[in-house]
Amino acid sequence: MAVNEVAGGTLGSEAKVAADGVMALLYAIARVQDGDQHLNLVVAHSKESQADPHGIELAGFDPYYERALDPDDTVAAGLQAGLYYARSGLGPADAARVVAAARARSEVLDDVTVEDVLASAPTCDPLRELDRAPRMDAATALVICDESTMRARDRSGVRLVGGAARAGAWWTARDLARADEARDAADEALALEGWEPSSLTRIEINAPFAFQQLLIGEALGLGDGESLVRRLAGGDGTAGRVNADGGWLAGSATSVAGLAACGHAVAELRDRGGRALIHGATGICAQSHAIALLEGVA
Amino acid sequence: MTAVPAAIVATGQTKHASRRLDVSMAEMAREAIDRCLGARGLAFDEIDAVVAGNMEMFEGIYLVDQFFIDALGALGKPLFKLNTGGTVGASVAVACYHLVASGRYRTILGVGFEKQSDGSTQAAITTVGDPIWERAVMAGAIGNFATMASTYIHESGVTELQAAKVAVKARLNACRNPYAHLHLPDITVEQVLESEYLAHPIHRLDMCPSSDGACAIVMAAESEAERLAEHPAWVHAAATAHDQQYMGDSPKRLAVMRSLRAAAAKGYRQAGISDPFHDFDVAEIYEPASYAELAMCENLGICEMGGGGRLIDEGLTQMDGPLPVNPSGGVLSANPVGATALIRVAEAALQVMGEAGDHQVDGVRRALATGYGGNAWTDLMVLSRERPS
Repeated sequence: MAVNEVAGGTLGSEAKVAADGVMALLYAIARVQDGDQHLNLVVAHSKESQADPHGIELAGFDPYYERALDPDDTVAAGLQAGLYYARSGLGPADAARVVAAARARSEVLDDVTVEDVLASAPTCDPLRELDRAPRMDAATALVICDESTMRARDRSGVRLVGGAARAGAWWTARDLARADEARDAADEALALEGWEPSSLTRIEINAPFAFQQLLIGEALGLGDGESLVRRLAGGDGTAGRVNADGGWLAGSATSVAGLAACGHAVAELRDRGGRALIHGATGICAQSHAIALLEGVA
Repeated sequence: MTAVPAAIVATGQTKHASRRLDVSMAEMAREAIDRCLGARGLAFDEIDAVVAGNMEMFEGIYLVDQFFIDALGALGKPLFKLNTGGTVGASVAVACYHLVASGRYRTILGVGFEKQSDGSTQAAITTVGDPIWERAVMAGAIGNFATMASTYIHESGVTELQAAKVAVKARLNACRNPYAHLHLPDITVEQVLESEYLAHPIHRLDMCPSSDGACAIVMAAESEAERLAEHPAWVHAAATAHDQQYMGDSPKRLAVMRSLRAAAAKGYRQAGISDPFHDFDVAEIYEPASYAELAMCENLGICEMGGGGRLIDEGLTQMDGPLPVNPSGGVLSANPVGATALIRVAEAALQVMGEAGDHQVDGVRRALATGYGGNAWTDLMVLSRERPS
């Protein structure tokens, strides 16, 4: 409601999807695909400086059995990180490389080194302050349209191919060291289009903690161990760049990160062509996952 | 792009009540879902996606859909959570429609739920108003509707007596609906007028109750819909229009309901409606206060502007009138907010499917449903027995 007027929504058709912006994008695609709309404005926004993040995240926990322990997403992520590191053999130094790579690509945050990350203040063991994307005020907007509208406007665009989503189980009811729903959503989205994973030229993983990006990247088939870290932290020279603009760790916000990544990908795909897979996560310990596929039209 | 024909094929509701102390909110939502799926013998693995609606701030559970994954049967499925104020139940139905009409999904479960006894509804609604200009004078739903009703009385000449007749009609209709919260078989116009003022001119019995409750629907595509229901409720229109945030920016808000008029114009165009009073056989509209039903009928074109009082005086919207409005008892008889607008759509679907039980209106072929809430936002749907061409 708060953005109705600034989004030009007055007396127009507007809906709010309460999740990462990729979910809003998937709904917007349906509104265009069934002919209801020719042009659709998709907006994601979050002003974290105006809120009490701990209080809001606390309200996301089970009011009967969990809230009395005063948890927040960082507390849960600390437990998840411990489980993931134990299973994968990776550790804080690997996540720190992902953070350093993201910050090096950031347009709004200062660079940090691996040493800076490992020396930052402990939060919830084994996590440190710089393991998590900083709280940001952020907003992003995309316009999507049907093919006839794009042709009529004589614009070479980026084809929004489609997507898929999967809701995961509550954080205490699943194996936190895996992200099967992210894999299933990506597999479905790719299969619907007949795309091979190897055809992707850009992959964007959006979760607020560096280790979660490794965890989800592994689920998406980007490798494991050192090869996985190299895919996310750069420097391996393979095709299919991951988080080319740094992703959430380079400066974004809850609800915004996935849709913002779509915007970054559009700019590249329009100029260079290629295929992009954009991931967005929602919920405690990246509970649910959404995938959008975009293709540059040469 | 062409829309795939889509229809509501099943609905389910809880028995709405002030306090459901016997169930958690998740269990309550599941109760409606089980009734909905059970109505057609559907299993969760036949559902492609789930759309959920709830007012998170009422019960204070952030991302409640993620907490309720199990209850919603959404594990491993796409789960869309919508937040559009009191409109949200209808927004759920609209989203179910578009997700099916797009061809992406074949069968979708839509769920709305609210357990107001778990939280503080009016405190949450107060935050909708601007913290500097609005909260001190129009806090909560009652203050808002009192302001709007005062304007409406001034503009239309409608009387407290005419509003009281609406309040009585709703409660007597509700006596035929086993799921309605309020069952007041002995209610009279005098009782309404003698009930205390909550905020002038709104008497206590002019206002909706505060309810715990849930509602679910299943929306299905073309042949799937025909397989699942003998008479699917086909969607012929799904329209949305939202008004400006500040009440002062849309003056005479209840007298001139811009979002309702805009949504009606869009929806009627989609469904080929030219004469709403005669084209519809029944209407389920979102009237949180008695005055709202009269004003909404005017703005929906069911009667002329200023003619709302005449509608109720002449009995035109009674169960035995030419256009029964809210045979379920409406919002005045049950208001579990996150479910309320979905109940309007579900009740309209039941009427079209011929499955409304004791409050079934004879011969319904086309029904109107609206959702209203937030900052004067409207969702509107037209349902019909005729499959769209």
